[in-house]
Amino acid sequence: MTQTNSNTSWEKPRNKNFEKLTKQSGGRWKFLVGGVLLLGAIGYLVASSTMMGAQFFITVDEIVNDSAYLGEEVRISGAVIGDTIEQNTVFVSERQRNAITFTITHIPEEFDNLAEALNQSVSDPNSTRLDVYYEGPMPDLLQHEAQAILTGKLGDDGVFYATELLLKCPSRFEGEGSNQQLGEEHPGMAQINAG
Amino acid sequence: MLAEIGFASTSLSLIAALYAIGAALIGGRIHSDRLILSARNAAIATFPLLLIACGMLLIALITEQYQINYVRNTTDPSTPMFYRVTALWGAQRGSLLFWSLTMSIFTAAALLISWKNDRRLMPYVIAYMMAALAFFLYLNLFVENPFERVWLQPNGPNDNAVVDSVLIPPNASAPAADLLAADASGLNPLLRHFGMIIHPPMLYLGFVGFLIPFAFAMAALASGDLSTNWIKATRRWTLVAWLFLSLGLILGGRWAYDVLGWGGYWGWDPVENAAFLPWLVGTAYLHSVLIQEKRGMLKVWNMFLIVGTFSAVIFGTFATRSGLIESVHSFAESEIGTPMFLFWGSITFVSVAMVVWRWRQGLLQDEHHFTGWLSRESMFVLNNVIFVALTLAIFWGSFGAPILSELYLEEDITLGVDYFMRVTPPLFLVMYILMGVAPITAWGATSINRMGRSLLVPLAATILTVIAIVATGTTTPVAVVGYAAVAMAGYVALFEIYRGTAARVRARNENPLQALVALFTRNRRRYGGYIVHLGIVVIGLGVIGSTVFQVERQETVDVGDVIQVNDEYQLRYDNFVVQQATDGRFIDRAYVTIIRNGEEIRQLEPRIDRFVQSDNTLMPMTIAGAHSTIENDFYVLLGGAGDGEVGYNRATFTIYINPLVNLVWWGGLILILGTFISAWPNETRSATARARTTATPKMGKRAGAMT
Repeated sequence: MTQTNSNTSWEKPRNKNFEKLTKQSGGRWKFLVGGVLLLGAIGYLVASSTMMGAQFFITVDEIVNDSAYLGEEVRISGAVIGDTIEQNTVFVSERQRNAITFTITHIPEEFDNLAEALNQSVSDPNSTRLDVYYEGPMPDLLQHEAQAILTGKLGDDGVFYATELLLKCPSRFEGEGSNQQLGEEHPGMAQINAG
Repeated sequence: MLAEIGFASTSLSLIAALYAIGAALIGGRIHSDRLILSARNAAIATFPLLLIACGMLLIALITEQYQINYVRNTTDPSTPMFYRVTALWGAQRGSLLFWSLTMSIFTAAALLISWKNDRRLMPYVIAYMMAALAFFLYLNLFVENPFERVWLQPNGPNDNAVVDSVLIPPNASAPAADLLAADASGLNPLLRHFGMIIHPPMLYLGFVGFLIPFAFAMAALASGDLSTNWIKATRRWTLVAWLFLSLGLILGGRWAYDVLGWGGYWGWDPVENAAFLPWLVGTAYLHSVLIQEKRGMLKVWNMFLIVGTFSAVIFGTFATRSGLIESVHSFAESEIGTPMFLFWGSITFVSVAMVVWRWRQGLLQDEHHFTGWLSRESMFVLNNVIFVALTLAIFWGSFGAPILSELYLEEDITLGVDYFMRVTPPLFLVMYILMGVAPITAWGATSINRMGRSLLVPLAATILTVIAIVATGTTTPVAVVGYAAVAMAGYVALFEIYRGTAARVRARNENPLQALVALFTRNRRRYGGYIVHLGIVVIGLGVIGSTVFQVERQETVDVGDVIQVNDEYQLRYDNFVVQQATDGRFIDRAYVTIIRNGEEIRQLEPRIDRFVQSDNTLMPMTIAGAHSTIENDFYVLLGGAGDGEVGYNRATFTIYINPLVNLVWWGGLILILGTFISAWPNETRSATARARTTATPKMGKRAGAMT
């Protein structure tokens, strides 16, 4: 009885410690391998989504002069020429839809004042032009010297088929003697998502 | 006079904040209680001072002091009173001052409430809070001053002799009142919506609220008191901040849905994402900090999470307000970009350095190790990994990739909605699965057997739900898998509440209702948490339904025509009128009828309001017509009637059918309720507090008090 007791009391802690140690180091490996797999999966997810979802943000000059962008989905930004805006009804799979066409001109990638850049671009007869086609209701902000930010593809006919149209009119909201542009302060001001 | 008082009062609060920093640090160093108390009082004094400053701006807005640029740029003589008041946070300058005010409210409250319990942390808490406040006050005074006025100075340095200045320049005079009034531009009509009125203050309260756990964490690092004191002192504050941030996000979504007219509530716009990031890290922190409280684990990780949360808040503010990212959302480009960026960079760097410093000293050692996969700890760690992965993926998509490509690549790359719609759903799916599994695991370890027993009922309910969903015709795999994971999380939460109640009924012979109430009052944090989970479940159902099954149709038709929306629904265009409202705006109104399976169910009036601006241009606002039921929203937008070739009788309609979208808002309400339950001060002490009471009587009382 006494012997058994002393045996167990001697054996038990040793076993326990031994077990604990192996369990811990084994557990550590498990956690490590699991962690690496998990991080790998997340990394793969982010990387593959980046490849799929990447859109090039380019200028009118670039899309007109570089054929590499033909048929690729890109985002471009340009200044709207007011006189070119036209509206028509078109039939798409037997439904009537409203189609808008207009022309935008090249604006440089960087500028100090958006309103000035837009004005210069539209007034300069030499600035590169691009015809745009968009289906959807007439956006109220689509007007002369508005900045259009378009997502879509350049077709073989040289027309840019936009699926998304975002408009900004800097001059419109600018108060005199102030640097507040109220109109640009809040979400989706003039965002129109086409179907 | 108003401008002078407001300016002086803001300046005084900056002085008070700077004094508080100095007095607190010196007082802490030389152990002078008097000096620390004086620092506290100075810190608290910033609140009344900023209240006066905001009050002055408010009076200026109400009494039409158009000489103040901010008043002139946000209101005009036709602005209704309600929007005069809300213009206080309607644009950059006012909202920054308002931000400072909310910060001073939070800091004053936190200092008063936690003063007695956490004396050792206090000097550093004061210093951190006041440093953050002082930075925003610096912006208010030197970069974006809301009290700036316009002056005519005939002999001044400028050619046009128009000068912007708070105080009157030499030989200057105020422009004529009628000219100023004529120059005023009112609040953007898009912002005239209930959601928009309270969305910014909620968001600010959420953002600013995270300053408190952050300051306490940093104080813990600075003082070396790295026990769980700082966590206990701040857990309710964290919940309060989290509640406001959640509310701000939901209200922003509701506003977008009602006003912006694109049929959705979340567009993965960089600025929306910027507000979502602190929510994600904050949610990870809320969970992870429980492990530290219960098991003394993950100390370093929690420090990084709270630093990450506050860093995300400041980064979000910087990204939103500096014009960093091309977004229609953002505040106009302004000069606060550089100082905000420096503030963000330095606060993040210093905090991380502090964590690393204490870590290397060995003061952030964990007290337990992970023992098994199926423990509550492991589930929480996985939950953390998912939240952090979501944060990084969304940050990468909104800021990382666009900024890196602009800096290092020839072409600028943006990641559109496609990216977010691909990267986030798998992560959210895992999040919901964890929400279903974690609550039934135990601290330390759980055997698969025991877990299986607790899972049996929720699992059976989920399988039945899936069968019901498929039987009623929903077979899209993505949606079925999503619904199953979300439903499972919901059933687990409900079943846990049921089990707790049933146990009380058995053990104490209470009636079920009594037992339920007692269950919640005895353990608010846990069961309130389950209610929050239910809220997130209901939101999840709404998001899946409205995202996967949204129907969109756009067509141009004549009066009398019928649009076939889908197999079930038609829309008939009945009539069109142009009206002028009493406030001067013009209204294009279309009358349409929704027909479902041949039956007319409702007439709607989608319209476009055109507000006459001070420069006589028209500012349009599209207001959707919506037929809203729990099943779906039938949402119609009128676009472009009466222009060009499309005559008055023709109009283009965009129609959305958004299934289950209302669950998003209902889920939001449940979430608020759950957070309230969790954060409510305990009158009855929890089990842990009671256990502590037996050891040291005073401690229990403290844990029960609002900390």
